[in-house]
Amino acid sequence: MIMEQKKETVAGRVLARITNEHLVPRPRWEFIWKNYFFWTLGALAVAIGALAFSAMLFEIENIDWRLSVATHTSLWSFFLDAAPILWVSVLALFILVGYGNIRRTKHGYRYPLAVIALGAVLTSFTLGGAFYAAGFGGEIEEAIGDHPPFYRPILLEERSWWLAPQKGLLAGQILSFVPGTTSFVLRDLNGRIWNIEGDELHSADRAIAAQGGIVRVVGTPTTATNSVFHACFVFPWRTYNAFFSLEGFPVSSSTFMLVSSSSSERNGAVARNDSCKGIRPYEKLRAIDEAGL
Amino acid sequence: MPPEMSDEEIVRRTLLNKDEFALLIERYEAKLSRYLERLGVGIREDREDILQNAFIKAYKNLNSFDPTLAFSSWMYRIAHNEAMSFFRSKRARPSIVLDDEDRDFFAEMRDENSDTSEIAELRLSREELEKAFSKIAPLQRDVLTLRFFEDRSYAEMSDILEVPIGTVSTLLHRAKRALRAALPKPFEL
Repeated sequence: MIMEQKKETVAGRVLARITNEHLVPRPRWEFIWKNYFFWTLGALAVAIGALAFSAMLFEIENIDWRLSVATHTSLWSFFLDAAPILWVSVLALFILVGYGNIRRTKHGYRYPLAVIALGAVLTSFTLGGAFYAAGFGGEIEEAIGDHPPFYRPILLEERSWWLAPQKGLLAGQILSFVPGTTSFVLRDLNGRIWNIEGDELHSADRAIAAQGGIVRVVGTPTTATNSVFHACFVFPWRTYNAFFSLEGFPVSSSTFMLVSSSSSERNGAVARNDSCKGIRPYEKLRAIDEAGL
Repeated sequence: MPPEMSDEEIVRRTLLNKDEFALLIERYEAKLSRYLERLGVGIREDREDILQNAFIKAYKNLNSFDPTLAFSSWMYRIAHNEAMSFFRSKRARPSIVLDDEDRDFFAEMRDENSDTSEIAELRLSREELEKAFSKIAPLQRDVLTLRFFEDRSYAEMSDILEVPIGTVSTLLHRAKRALRAALPKPFEL
């Protein structure tokens, strides 16, 4: 009778269910591991965010926004083309994932959203800065950035901006240049050979060209079938070599010397003209040219 | 069994002998049943089912109980979550159910107001109070219930609702403002 009454109470029913269903408390280690699991996921997410940030820093450092006056009609259109959207998205996503996981830890709910989010952002930035300083930024951009089908690394994107002779933009390796002449031969980033007329180049531009290597040339627009390009400005392109070696670039300096010494068929001096004055961002480019890149 | 035995001590003993769990159930059954009723679980059988599930869940997760927070907060949290699951399964959240004793609510609430001079003498019927509560958001009802009916501290509410203490404070402030707006004019707080 007493047992019957006991079973009628909540305590009685709960204990009966525990006995009948052979329920036992889950072991402590399960909870400890669960807690570690979420902390680890949170930390991993923040670390991935940090890698994204280092790649972003790499892009920001290597993309030359000062020459956007030549490649884009406005700074805004340059920003839209050059913004490291993939990395910003990855950073934001993994900071959110990190927040979600930290929130699931034992005491995660006690921390305000702003504290966790700010902590995750600051940790990602600090760690990302360290990764970048250690040289991971370029590695990540190169290793991961080229794989998503919807994304092309910004530095490869930038190359395409400079393969537009019809817009007066050309980039490539200088193959030959003889002091005292105004023209040089350039192989563009697609491997095509161009004769570059340099009669309007200032001495600073010529000095840059004389150094060889990869350069960007702003000139008067020309047709794609033409192999002569009239140069107005020459800017050095100090960029991440891995992006060039991916496509067979750069040509080694010994090749440069070899071609230089056999450039007897190079164009002669061309009469000086003022066609460069007609290119649209002339004054801005002149200012950049004078300030030096 | 010494009457002063703490909840935490009973938890330790329960891990060795499941029958000890009855002590915790008996200690919290009435309180939690009342809390569930205030949350809107009006039918006694439903409350008992929710309580039973809550205690079973507590038993199964006894090793996850964190002694740095009060056992009562942990138990309230489980009961609260069970009640929310119950409401979700019913796809309905009834309004608060009060009894005459709950009319002391305003005295409690008045104590928290800094400017007591503006507080009117409150003579609300239970129905009027319930009606005002039905007009505010469920989460706001929950925080008011925990704070003024269950006498929970901000820290305990934070542990029960699993939100930061700052959020509890904000929620409570908004809940009081919402309730003030929902009250009949002569009874504004």
